[in-house]
Amino acid sequence: MKIFGKRLFRPRSIWIRRVVQWFFFLLIAIIAINHTLVENGGGIPFLSTASLHALCPFGGVVTIYQYATIGTFVQKIHESSFVLMILAFILSILFGPVFCGWVCPLGTVQEWVSKIGKKLFRRKFNRFVPAKLDNILRYLRYLVLAWVIYVTATSGTLIFADYDPYFALFNFWTTEVALPSLIILGITLLLSVFVERPWCKYACPYGAVLGITNLFRVFQIRRVESTCKNDGVCSIVCPMNIPVDELQTVRDHQCISCLECTSEAFCPVAKTVVFNAGGVK
Amino acid sequence: MNLTSKPLAAIIFVVFFGGIAFSTGMGWWVTESAKQPAAYTEGEFVGQSNPADIRGSYTFGVVENAFGVPSKVLAQAFLIESNSPSTFAIKGLEEIYAANEFEIGTGSVRLFVAFYNGLPIDLTADTYLPENAAALLQDRNLNAEQSAYLKTHTIPNPGNPAPEVAPTTEPSQSAAPAETSVENLIKGKTTFQEILDWGVSPAMIEQVIGAPMPSPLTKIKDYCIEKGLDFETVKATLQAEIDK
Ligand code: SF4
Repeated sequence: MKIFGKRLFRPRSIWIRRVVQWFFFLLIAIIAINHTLVENGGGIPFLSTASLHALCPFGGVVTIYQYATIGTFVQKIHESSFVLMILAFILSILFGPVFCGWVCPLGTVQEWVSKIGKKLFRRKFNRFVPAKLDNILRYLRYLVLAWVIYVTATSGTLIFADYDPYFALFNFWTTEVALPSLIILGITLLLSVFVERPWCKYACPYGAVLGITNLFRVFQIRRVESTCKNDGVCSIVCPMNIPVDELQTVRDHQCISCLECTSEAFCPVAKTVVFNAGGVK
Repeated sequence: MNLTSKPLAAIIFVVFFGGIAFSTGMGWWVTESAKQPAAYTEGEFVGQSNPADIRGSYTFGVVENAFGVPSKVLAQAFLIESNSPSTFAIKGLEEIYAANEFEIGTGSVRLFVAFYNGLPIDLTADTYLPENAAALLQDRNLNAEQSAYLKTHTIPNPGNPAPEVAPTTEPSQSAAPAETSVENLIKGKTTFQEILDWGVSPAMIEQVIGAPMPSPLTKIKDYCIEKGLDFETVKATLQAEIDK
């Protein structure tokens, strides 16, 4: 809120991100429910009846190999996954993994559960994993990615769906869901009480792909050293534990472009941590 | 140039929904497989839809559109009680008939549709139909081979007592061999790992599917659908190996 040009109240979080997250969570949930209704002879008129596989941009990634070699899609993957994959890539090249930070419903649900952890553990929350171990574990998701691409390419089927907590989240009421994915979803939600976005940090193969774009995205999180008070707030609030106060430009593969570290949210100094293209003085 | 959260939120919406709208306009936004079975490529029925290409994901309605067999008739044949039989997905049959010793599934619908329309279909595999389906086919124009096959491949409707010698009503060489263990029957959910465990060599599997051995955890049926192979044929060949 501004009075006489002075800002009296500064939002402590990017509230519009929460709105966008809620929107996509509800959208995917309703479509998933509608898909089940349609399979059982019902359905909500005018609403998409697509399966979750058809609406997953990661499906496009895993089918690239098969599409390039034999010209067909992996079973249950359709052209729509390819379209979403391209759209998510465009956004990522421009802004980094906004899909993870703003759209992905599994990320959203982890954030919701984390609110319990924040209340319980306050400052200790999201600081339980020793830094050395954490640094190593952060690369685990690239191993998961390699495994997913390998098993999909050799089998021609979506084996990962049996382990995918995102699939379990929106299919736990159907017979399509496999027990391992339900167990992994349960573990993810439990860990979310202690760690912010554990699945995204340590295991998500799609986050691994999109995270690479942080190295070259057009808009970068930048810290203006000349005005920075080095209070470390940006690092404390970062859900991905990135030491923003030690960096000039955030190129960390784990950044999800949530903007919580910026001067628009938690950084107390105006125009000091910014989401910027072209560089800052 | 600095970007704040509200324009970013707007850009996310524009890119996703604008992209989907654009791809819809271009005909790229496809969220399901084309529900049109392949046609016969040779013989008397060339150009007509081939029942052998009916998929588990098809509904009775799709079959009705492609082959003209009314959904109600299909529902009656397979004992599906539904107010809107056209929306029943064929893959649901496996679950309904899961307790049956002899599988009723997509293969059964293919057989029924072929016999109903007097179309040719491979009869080397053992595919079964419930009594209701067989009864509905009685007044269709079946040839001698089809009639004989039907007699030996009919099982009781669920809930009906099994005849003394199930499923055949007449002795037949094509019925399931007596020595076949029920546990070692290939079904829709059988994986390559299971048939490896039952003694089929990887080389034999590769010979049957004509490709390198896929991941053992792959379901044989899923693999066949994906690769465009006829599951019933692959199943019969592999089953013969298991029964050796
Ligand atoms: S660096 Fe900033 S934008 Fe990136 S994840 Fe951390 S808080 Fe969010």
